[in-house]
Amino acid sequence: MPMRPMKFLSSSVGTKVLIAVTGLAFFLFLILHLAGNLLIFVGPEAFNSYSHKLVSNPLLLVAEAGLAAIFLLHVVKAVVNFTANRHARPVGYAMKRWARHTSRKSLASTTMIVSGTIIFGFLILHLITFKFGTYYEDPTHHYRDLHRLVLEKFSHPGLVGFYVLCMTIIGLHLRHGLASAFQSLGIEHPQYNRLIRLGGVVLALLIAAGFAAIPIWVYFVGTR
Amino acid sequence: MTKMTVTLRVWRQAGPSARGRFVEYAAEGVSPDMSFLEMLDVINEGLIRKGEDPIAFDSDCREGICGTCGFLVDGVAHGPDRGTTVCQLYMRRFTDGATITVEPWRARAFPVIKDLVVDRSAFDRIIQAGGYISVNVGAAPDAHAIPVPKSVADNAMDAAQCIGCGACVAACKNASAALFVAAKITHLNLLPHGEPEQHKRVVAMVDQADTAGFGSCSNEGECEAVCPKEIKLSTIARMNRQYARACWFDR
Repeated sequence: MPMRPMKFLSSSVGTKVLIAVTGLAFFLFLILHLAGNLLIFVGPEAFNSYSHKLVSNPLLLVAEAGLAAIFLLHVVKAVVNFTANRHARPVGYAMKRWARHTSRKSLASTTMIVSGTIIFGFLILHLITFKFGTYYEDPTHHYRDLHRLVLEKFSHPGLVGFYVLCMTIIGLHLRHGLASAFQSLGIEHPQYNRLIRLGGVVLALLIAAGFAAIPIWVYFVGTR
Repeated sequence: MTKMTVTLRVWRQAGPSARGRFVEYAAEGVSPDMSFLEMLDVINEGLIRKGEDPIAFDSDCREGICGTCGFLVDGVAHGPDRGTTVCQLYMRRFTDGATITVEPWRARAFPVIKDLVVDRSAFDRIIQAGGYISVNVGAAPDAHAIPVPKSVADNAMDAAQCIGCGACVAACKNASAALFVAAKITHLNLLPHGEPEQHKRVVAMVDQADTAGFGSCSNEGECEAVCPKEIKLSTIARMNRQYARACWFDR
């Protein structure tokens, strides 16, 4: 039998595999992003010099293009998958209850398309706020003073609340997404299924809490 | 023995293209030891006596092993009990005076024929696509002639329990047939007689399910929770692995 990669990618199984791989790639990006962000707790110098090293690297454009491609693939495949799945049940149930028992259905799993849409919107606002936000220059080092912008933005309680809410939604998306990606990829064994599911929940919680800690800390402590 | 009275809200639909609606029926003098289907039989006898059209529903063995019966009871496929078909659901499971909603499986690939009866021939076409072994394997060989490890036999046997009732499709928010297809693939691919055709089989069956209009797996496991044979979600993970291997590496 010949290889059939294109057929695979358009099949129901392959679609979920693509969503899983791109989702996991974005999860790895989030870990790196968080690690960089946490430098804000070290001090303005560490935070700004890290951000300067990042943006002055010519490879950043390649990385950004790659991230954008992965993100778009994830979104496009997920939306196509969602509409196809809607199509699979044209007449809905008058009464439908969760089966419970062994089911893994959760608030997170039922709202992936909603949380995903919110995250998409958040991402655009997030890039406008920081990446394309006001350019302050550090008078001593003559590079961008991103630290000042972060402090300025997170002095507004509205924006702090918005960010914490969005991080909660990202945590919810990851809570289903992480373990679900492993199942889609067929990485599954009774010996470590519990670990995968528990690990997914814990990592989702840690990432959401880590990101949310920054606006909260800046608002209550950082600006003093 | 105390008798029960329940009110049923049943989906009535005269034909495939007719408009359906819920109709309420009072079931009086119901014994708690009746199965759900026996209770429907009593209602139907009353309807027939009045000259009305009885409620159409599928059933055959009525002992939970044939896979013919099935509908949603109060929003859950096969009703609230674990690992049972609706013919093995007993009226003692409900409280006296309860109102119970009864609805057919709903999926594009399972069109309603009448009332609670749906056309599940989409499952037959998935089996025709690859749910068989092409070679004539002859009579039962000596027990030691074809070695099958116990754990493999157990996994294949667990998957082979699938009775094709369609509850997995009905329960899935995506109307996915993944659990059914995965059960058949696991059952046949794990055993020595099915192994030579494993790649051809997984590709043909998954593709046929896609063509039939079933959705993709949601990974939620509602299927596993309602499955009367408790087929495991791990069969779907195995199917995903085998489908990828067949598409990318088979030669």
